[in-house]
Amino acid sequence: MIYSAALVDHFRNPRNAGMMRDPDGVGESEYRECMDLARFYLRVRDGRVLEARFQTYGCGPTIAASSAATELAAGHRLEDLVELAEGRVVEAVGGLPEERRHAAQVVAMALRAAARNALDRRGKG
Amino acid sequence: MNRRVYLDHNASTPVHPEVVQAMLPYFGERFGNPSSVHAFGREAREGVETAREQIAHFLRVGKEEIVFTSGGTESDNMAVKGIAMARRQGHIITSQIEHHAVLRAVQYLETLGFEATYVPVDQHGMVDPDDVRRAIRPDTVLITIMHANSEVGTIQPAAEIGRLAREREIPFHVDGVQTFGKVPIDLDAFGIDLLSFSSHKIYGPKGVAGLWIRKGTKMVSVQHGGEHERRRRAGTENVPGIVGFGKAVELRARDMADEAVRVTALRDRLWDGISARVPEVRLNGHPTQRLPGTCNMCFRHVESESIVLGLDLKGVGVSAGSACTSGSVEPSYVLVAMGVPLDWAMGSVRTSLGRSTTAEDIDYVVECVEPLVAKLRSAMPARAEAR
Repeated sequence: MIYSAALVDHFRNPRNAGMMRDPDGVGESEYRECMDLARFYLRVRDGRVLEARFQTYGCGPTIAASSAATELAAGHRLEDLVELAEGRVVEAVGGLPEERRHAAQVVAMALRAAARNALDRRGKG
Repeated sequence: MNRRVYLDHNASTPVHPEVVQAMLPYFGERFGNPSSVHAFGREAREGVETAREQIAHFLRVGKEEIVFTSGGTESDNMAVKGIAMARRQGHIITSQIEHHAVLRAVQYLETLGFEATYVPVDQHGMVDPDDVRRAIRPDTVLITIMHANSEVGTIQPAAEIGRLAREREIPFHVDGVQTFGKVPIDLDAFGIDLLSFSSHKIYGPKGVAGLWIRKGTKMVSVQHGGEHERRRRAGTENVPGIVGFGKAVELRARDMADEAVRVTALRDRLWDGISARVPEVRLNGHPTQRLPGTCNMCFRHVESESIVLGLDLKGVGVSAGSACTSGSVEPSYVLVAMGVPLDWAMGSVRTSLGRSTTAEDIDYVVECVEPLVAKLRSAMPARAEAR
């Protein structure tokens, strides 16, 4: 197996998969070359992520990275999450082969977009 | 520990134990170079020539018409380039769904000034012989059409294409790598002049294959060196590999017909099981004119590789129709040529069964596929459905 145990575990047992009703922030990203699509929903309390959920179309690593990213996001301040580096997602799945780095890229972009969206909504609210 | 089920026989097969036994002496005491005149060389030569006879007998051809190569890719290159280059210029007819060994050889010849027509296929992956007829030009020097496609398994109307080639006296090459030893090939009735065939698809070792060249076919060598293989393919023969190949072919002559019946039934059991339990799945390839063990399916709105990975984790080996190893994903060119819509083509999975596959294996795979596809679809964003 070319993938880490953590990645395989997230693929096998995805955490927080599926949509969220009335989220405080939604964001998505596409990786056109691979046709991957990731979307994150955030529930926010006092500026921090209470819960994150995902919906993803993509290969195994992208699904696993989405699952890991929902756990990564929980507890984070939105201001930190909008800066989330792709490398953090790579770490969260125990590393990614070079040719699958796009999995972390599309997931990090989608999660940052969701955090930005939550901040925008708060600003308007 | 999971059950282990191998459903990727079109990629490669396990070497038959009897084949291994036949090969072993040629790694040891019969190690000589078959070109040497001494006893050591003569023993190795005997192994090579016995294998040539076994294969010639199976194909019902003369043994001097068989050339051993290093693999199906070399056989295809030798045939396509060898025929074309002997004629220096001209036009080549092939199909859009050939193996890359043929497609890229033809594309290379185009850079040298040859012209090519890539005939299309229908929704089942079948070439229309009328398209071949229409493509024929006065300067056509080669028709090369595969016997069966490795991805979807559709068996081409070789006899009808061969008749057209024969009428116009155009050499007809058939890539028979996926059919040789699995379904009957009647070289004369099909009007074939060159046939590529391989060992590791039929329980022989890797690194050895053959090209049958009808006697009198004008061609040039593409690999230059010594006088091996009647000066058609230079290079010391892969003696153990060739011996094993011969043995594998002998076993196919014995097992092929019964196995085709058994494997076809298992293939249909797999499709019936999956299509009855999984919504939005389609079968790719011809419903009946198809390789016995090949079942290629598209799961709509699911990505091929996630199914391959999910099944791998259950101990099941299948292959993906699309791959994103280089950071970009392309749907299979074969499915694209067949007109399969993109939202289906992205979720294609090829299963290919073989001699060791059992009904229990098939039932296990069906059990695995249903929840896996449901899980993948449940985590999918609605917008992906627009793809």
